[in-house]
Amino acid sequence: MEKHILIGGEAGKGIAKTTLLISEVFTNAGYYVFNYREYQSLIKGGFNFNVLKISDNPVYSHDNSYDVIFALNQDLIDRHENDLKEGGFILGDKNLKGKNLIGIDVQAHLEKLGASAKLGNDILIGALAKIIGLPVEPVVKVVKGAFKKKIDLLEESIIEGYNCVEKKMELDNPDGKPKYFITGNEAISMGAITSGIDMYVAYPITPATPVLHELASKQVEHDFIVVQPENEIAVACSALGASYAGANTMIGTSGAGFALMTEALSLQGMSEVPLVVYLSQRTGPASGVPTYNSQGDLKFAVNVGHGEFVRVVVAPGDAKECFYRTIEAFHLASKYRVLVMILGDKHVGESNYSFDDFEEPKIKPSRYITEPCEDYKSYLITENGVSPRSVPGQGAVVRATSYEHNEYGYTTEKADEVIKMNDKRLKKLDDLKEEIMDLVPVYLHGQGKKLIVGWGSTKGAIVDALKDLPDFRFLQVSYISPFPAEEVKREIENSDEVILIENNATGLLGDIIAEQTGKIINKKVLKYDGRPFTSEEIVERVNKVVK
Amino acid sequence: MKAEDLNTGEKSTWCPGCTDFGILTSVKQAITNLVNDEKVKRENIVGVSGVGCFDKIYDYLNINFFHTLHGRSLPTMFGIKLGNPELKIIGFGGDGSTYAEGMAHVVHSCRYNEDTTFLVFDNQMFSLTTGQATPVSEKGLVTPSTPLGVHEKPVNPLALTMTCGASFISRGFALDIPNLTKLIEAAVMHKGFSFVEILQPCISYHNTTQFIREHIYKLENHNTGNYEDAMKKALEWDYCQNENSKIPTGIFYETNKPIYEDQWPHMKKWHTVKRNPDFRKILSEFKK
Repeated sequence: MEKHILIGGEAGKGIAKTTLLISEVFTNAGYYVFNYREYQSLIKGGFNFNVLKISDNPVYSHDNSYDVIFALNQDLIDRHENDLKEGGFILGDKNLKGKNLIGIDVQAHLEKLGASAKLGNDILIGALAKIIGLPVEPVVKVVKGAFKKKIDLLEESIIEGYNCVEKKMELDNPDGKPKYFITGNEAISMGAITSGIDMYVAYPITPATPVLHELASKQVEHDFIVVQPENEIAVACSALGASYAGANTMIGTSGAGFALMTEALSLQGMSEVPLVVYLSQRTGPASGVPTYNSQGDLKFAVNVGHGEFVRVVVAPGDAKECFYRTIEAFHLASKYRVLVMILGDKHVGESNYSFDDFEEPKIKPSRYITEPCEDYKSYLITENGVSPRSVPGQGAVVRATSYEHNEYGYTTEKADEVIKMNDKRLKKLDDLKEEIMDLVPVYLHGQGKKLIVGWGSTKGAIVDALKDLPDFRFLQVSYISPFPAEEVKREIENSDEVILIENNATGLLGDIIAEQTGKIINKKVLKYDGRPFTSEEIVERVNKVVK
Repeated sequence: MKAEDLNTGEKSTWCPGCTDFGILTSVKQAITNLVNDEKVKRENIVGVSGVGCFDKIYDYLNINFFHTLHGRSLPTMFGIKLGNPELKIIGFGGDGSTYAEGMAHVVHSCRYNEDTTFLVFDNQMFSLTTGQATPVSEKGLVTPSTPLGVHEKPVNPLALTMTCGASFISRGFALDIPNLTKLIEAAVMHKGFSFVEILQPCISYHNTTQFIREHIYKLENHNTGNYEDAMKKALEWDYCQNENSKIPTGIFYETNKPIYEDQWPHMKKWHTVKRNPDFRKILSEFKK
């Protein structure tokens, strides 16, 4: 069973809240729900919508055809009336116009109850519940639970809406176990707290801002701080300062802010001060289409900063992966004193995913700070290239520097020392690569002989599409740097046909695969209109490419 | 301890006779006095420098040190302070890096008023790059990058930091080591953002030694708590070389204001916090 609901209207009319409440009713009842959000770069007015896919089986993506269109204005109907499935309904106020409209006289019902206009959405929520086949009690419970204060006539409004329409659809009963319903951004925040974060530094930017808000709201309770300095240059530099002082530090941004951080990320490479960066991609270049999606910054992340140094890039494919990959990012950054980037995007960050459970993470947080020995050398050359980390105040003189240096950290221009230090820094890659092999750098979904290759947020739509593409299996590449070249090469060589799927205009992972493995993937399914793939689209376009 | 204990043994690459040596001597003496007077623990002192001639002080001071990027001393200092508020941060900048590349940070560090000290080596010149004008160079100055003469009037760093809310504002002279030493000690001991401008003639590209010696004077009977008086003194010299220039030195302004890091009731030196996050509890908070 699958049900698709489109909820939309003007910004500021409670669309996001309404969507979350409806989702919660379903996930509490044990259904799997995926929620895709689309909104414009404005505060009030305009046009926002959410798309819910509800199922008794796991779902990771949305589709573009709907059983119910929950319309808060005419604009939504005008744009999406043709996306209504056969037998579907449009639900909204009686003044709206559209095919199969179940028009509710919201005003009359409110007047009958003596309720304020604010409760109009709740009348419609009640009506939706009835139409789609839900009982009313759980809806009342969830909506009431969403407000700290008691709201007069809230329950009555939902019931009024419920009673004013007929049941139109049937729902299959799910397993009954409530689901976790979480966005990628929430999961990254959760991962940061589980990693023992001491300090999060960020400048506001869509679509990374939700992490800033989430962590700021939890900083006192979980005993860390959240700082918003004057610009992204200060964000990255102050984060390196804090990490040098011993704080477990993460920063977050999107493309435009990331661009400003690049000089400091290069400083990370030279200074070897641990740093975790969350880069949430949006449609570029420049200011681009700022509230929409893209996978356009892959090569920017992999190559960020001037000079040669180790950059780790990991790309989570859904909210659950956001959680575990964030924990890995903190671990690798501290252990190897390297730059680790969590490469997400608007789609994985702001969409809600549902899961049965989260398993206890295997990695336990550590800052990898050691008691300094006598004659401490900040840049001691060791077998694996990682120098023991100390911090100021512990007794040793601790140095960090942007210049080439000797083991003590003093500036050098001597040829042999320049070589030695380059070798030391790059040596870290050996152990790092080995450890990453244990962290599932690539994952194969499905069994087919033909291969789809992709990364990051396209995972959801591709995995959901596989049931209609039985000849295909999907190779999800999660660690992009260091690149699991052998694994990717092997899968490509063992496949009758290979198709690259990316949410960008040029196929950036394809470039990296060519560079790292010598394999060129000619068949590409690319999308760069700012919108993520749906599974229907993937099925259609893959079939077209294969023919 | 003795000032020599702060030597590193690294060979200096400043020009022979560079006035930066005067600043280095003052910094070493100030640190030695502060440590000997038990006002500051040596292991808690952290130097921060960016990139320019001044930055080489990184190699000549045996203390904890973060040698950051050009113009980025201030945000790096800010982060170190928030990473461990017990550390005593002494940051260094040049007039080029501070007022050109990193000007935005000046405004905000003054505004934040975090408890750090910032010494600017002001020679009114980009010297390490062989002598170009900076935002503090005098109007009309001819350099290889400004052969027609600098077109703008110089920025006045003291008036600027006054306006932006720094709580300790002062000016010293690299060749007046005893007074500069005292100034640095006072700046480090002040709670809040302490700004110390150090006039530091560049003997290679902008040798104003003679001019400064002739026009400099020490602030006396000056009320450092009065903002208007301090602003008048800050504006007294326009950073150009006029016959009737008067260049005051000393503490211009000092006041007590809330410091940035105090906004968090739970602020601490984070690396000592033992963390054992309860994954199930954290998960339950995010559960919808």
